[in-house]
Amino acid sequence: MNIGLDVGSTTAKIVLLDKSKIIRSKVVSSHNWKELLDTNTDEHIIVSTGYFRRKVPHSAAITEITAASLGVRYYVPDAQVIVDIGGQDTKVIDLRNNRFMINDKCSAGTGAFLELAAHYFNIPIESLGKLHSRTQRSAQINNTCGVFAISEMISQLVAGYTIEEVIHGIHEAFAHRIAQMIPPTNQVVLIGGTVLNTGIVNSMETILDSTIVVPPEPQMINAIGAALYREIRSYSKS
Amino acid sequence: MTNTIGITALIPPELIYACGHRPLDVNNVVPESSLSPRSKLCAWTALWRDLILTGSLDIDSLVVVAGGDCHNALVDGQKVSLSGLPTHYFFYPFDTNTQYLHSQLKSLEGFLGGIKDHKMFKYIYRLKKKGLALEKQRVNDNARASDIFSALICFSDMQSDPYEFENLIDNIPDTDVEYSSRVAMIGVPPIYPDFHKVAEEFGLHIVYDELPYEFIRLGGNDLQGLAKSYKDYSFAGPIKSRIKIINHELQKRRVDGVIHYTQFACHHTLEDEIFRDYLDYPFLTVQGDLPGPTPEQLKLRLEAFSEMLEIMP
Repeated sequence: MNIGLDVGSTTAKIVLLDKSKIIRSKVVSSHNWKELLDTNTDEHIIVSTGYFRRKVPHSAAITEITAASLGVRYYVPDAQVIVDIGGQDTKVIDLRNNRFMINDKCSAGTGAFLELAAHYFNIPIESLGKLHSRTQRSAQINNTCGVFAISEMISQLVAGYTIEEVIHGIHEAFAHRIAQMIPPTNQVVLIGGTVLNTGIVNSMETILDSTIVVPPEPQMINAIGAALYREIRSYSKS
Repeated sequence: MTNTIGITALIPPELIYACGHRPLDVNNVVPESSLSPRSKLCAWTALWRDLILTGSLDIDSLVVVAGGDCHNALVDGQKVSLSGLPTHYFFYPFDTNTQYLHSQLKSLEGFLGGIKDHKMFKYIYRLKKKGLALEKQRVNDNARASDIFSALICFSDMQSDPYEFENLIDNIPDTDVEYSSRVAMIGVPPIYPDFHKVAEEFGLHIVYDELPYEFIRLGGNDLQGLAKSYKDYSFAGPIKSRIKIINHELQKRRVDGVIHYTQFACHHTLEDEIFRDYLDYPFLTVQGDLPGPTPEQLKLRLEAFSEMLEIMP
């Protein structure tokens, strides 16, 4: 039995893996990560990842990049490029040549940007995808700065666009921002909690010339990767 | 009279010493600076500019590398010049033209008051040979990269005192290093003084520092000899030649991966895409801005890169 514990900036996830089979998985908010572990959980079977990986019980702590690379292969063995859209940063991992890029200096291509937009409209972030799907028309948002994009959203509302059309535009701006980081490829695997927003997936599909793959439970991939890490390590040592 | 000559990028230090002066590479004090520059693009140039203008750097004149370095240096150098400090502009040829470089060195010699001590050419040559030996030591895993980097980066000015500097490099310890991967650093040097130590903590043994390695090029005994050697200063020439040199060094040093350090608002950042296309190695690009301890986001990248090199097929 192996446990992958992914405590990120926004949510904490746990995956219990037995002989490469997922036995249990759960998500809570980051600050409640203790709820994920039983009092008798053996620390020696935990591999942690995420921002708080060294702050939680673990036998090994691995970065989200390694965790994502291992976790994605669980569902997509022939994965080429991974785009992990997190709360605070976005990571692009090219598995073909072990190269990766992280965008964390600016909120424009991260979950934080969408939170900012949802907060402005006073709607739950989970409803962004639904509102996106209600229209095909999009208000153009050019700004790559998350904060200035909000001013642009306001201007577009003033110009007569609906909230749905502005949200459509935000998702497209978001997708354009991330697309700049993606190397040429014919397949992209999207992971991370933000990918649960179908508006983002839809916009990425429109913008990229690649097949978009979203694995089941995309927010759990890094926890799966962390759990697999121990299996891979013990296999390579035996 | 011996003057302290500030230099903004690689200028043959043997010529400055032979002219009876001491060079001071103004970049070498930047990583320890806590100044907040007034108006800045690249922190390297903005900080040496402000350090000079605020009197924190005691130099008698400045030699600005205006061709073969960056336009920020050219503008910031002129700001220094407008303050009244004697300033000279030095241009490397883009096409490795020896005659052109000779004329630039002749003009620099004039600015420095002429060669007075020819013996310094031989002495600096001998020091640089020691630098090459140090380089070999780390490639053979017998020295920590952080120690070697600290020494090599100072070969641009020999810390303004070559005799003291010789003592320092003679005392770099022989240490067997353990690591998980061998990596190369290309681009301008990181602005974070602890960068090499941080990389070591993650099991990365840096066996090549592109720019500091340029500093230990062996010059000649006169201007013609210097021109022949320094015309190949890779940062000043076409990127095609630079790629050829880097690829040769990567192969020779058996590296597992390449780290490209880029500086915020530095034009060299634009070279990243080219390097990614022409250097066939696992490749990590990192970017720094103001000096200080290596930031956590950057540590995450180094740790992830190290993990990738270790466990990925």
